[in-house]
Amino acid sequence: MVRGETMNKCILEMPSYTYAQKAERLLRSKGIPSNIKRRSTGCGYVLHIFADCRAAAQLLERYGIPYVLRENGGSA
Amino acid sequence: MIINFDNAATTFPKPDCVKAAVDEAMSKYGGNAGRGGHALAAATSEAVYSAREDIASFFRAKPENTIYAMNCTPALNMSIQGIMAGGGHLIISSMEHNSAARPAARLAEEGRITLSVAEVFPESEKTVAAFRSLIRSDTKAIVCTLAGNVTGQIMPFREIGQLCREHGICFIADGAQACGIIDVKLSDGINILCTAGHKGLYGITGTGLLITDGQFPVVPLMQGGTGTDSLSLRQPDLTPESLESGTVGVIGIMSLKAGVDFVRRTGIGNIFRHEDRICRRFISRLRGDGRITVYRSPAAQYVPIAAFNIEGMTSEEAAARLDRYGYCLRAGFHCAALTHALLGTKNGAVRFSPSYFSREEDAAKLAELINKM
Repeated sequence: MVRGETMNKCILEMPSYTYAQKAERLLRSKGIPSNIKRRSTGCGYVLHIFADCRAAAQLLERYGIPYVLRENGGSA
Repeated sequence: MIINFDNAATTFPKPDCVKAAVDEAMSKYGGNAGRGGHALAAATSEAVYSAREDIASFFRAKPENTIYAMNCTPALNMSIQGIMAGGGHLIISSMEHNSAARPAARLAEEGRITLSVAEVFPESEKTVAAFRSLIRSDTKAIVCTLAGNVTGQIMPFREIGQLCREHGICFIADGAQACGIIDVKLSDGINILCTAGHKGLYGITGTGLLITDGQFPVVPLMQGGTGTDSLSLRQPDLTPESLESGTVGVIGIMSLKAGVDFVRRTGIGNIFRHEDRICRRFISRLRGDGRITVYRSPAAQYVPIAAFNIEGMTSEEAAARLDRYGYCLRAGFHCAALTHALLGTKNGAVRFSPSYFSREEDAAKLAELINKM
């Protein structure tokens, strides 16, 4: 397995790198691990969530951080 | 020997932590922030975001509303032209630097806005009244410096912020001479704060900030690469990227982060007290025989800047003579046409501006030298 590659439950597309960072730090502070990665379809950033996607999504919404759910392998 | 008393132009020397941050950025952050996904780009992007977060917290702002600029002038241009893009009435103070006055004047000359200039008085209540008297139903924004760049007069910005709130007007503040010297935060009623990074915040030249509370959208002056949505020809709407087209100045940003950390650690109160003591003692040592005019009023408050003239010589002649002894002071009109018109200083003035690294004994020797001129 390549460094940083683990099973994730969902992928959130972020509108910018700044919001990706803001989301990653917010989730980390609440105990939800995630990774910022490049979007596979071109310029842009996505957040790979490795935990409860529903909880992660609710947190982002509560803090006004925009995202689009791209892949849902979990419970979001 | 060089003794810099021209810190209102740009602070020098810089703190050691700023020099170290520049070195670190040169060796570690060689990627393009917000572009690419490789390790170098990721490390650089993370560092730039960390700086954004730190700087935002200093001004009690949100990181996504903290925009990097080249210095205060582009930040003011972006704000003024971006807020007034649809036309309307704009009020500026009679103490604005050309970085605010010129974009405002150009928009007015082109017939895109109407412009009023509010006279500044030593008494805060008179200045606020002057602003209030100019507000119209189509007034969209007030632009006011927090502290004048020639005399250092502190403006009643909290009262002006309140006035703007009452009328639903955008308050654009120029913090170039105030940030790092007096406590400035968005909750003071400022909607958009523009500042230099290389003055009281001790970053290197080529750094500045536009910090917004997000209440009044700023229409981007420039369009270009933002690292996202590359296949779309439409500029993204979200800050900071919408206002940061092109590669950001990573080394400058890291220097600014270190400078802000220095100010935070040192304490704004300590910085102000140190510089203010030097400035007041400098003024008090100048001879009081009427040959030296210091442009200060007992009715006003000042950041540690003192503008003066010596009878019988122009400001440029005075500064040139001081330069021969190693003292660096700024003469002339300080890019501030409105202020010098207000002061009636046809030959400009000499400006003394210490920093946290200035020494009282150097200011005393300078005063002695001036007294002999």
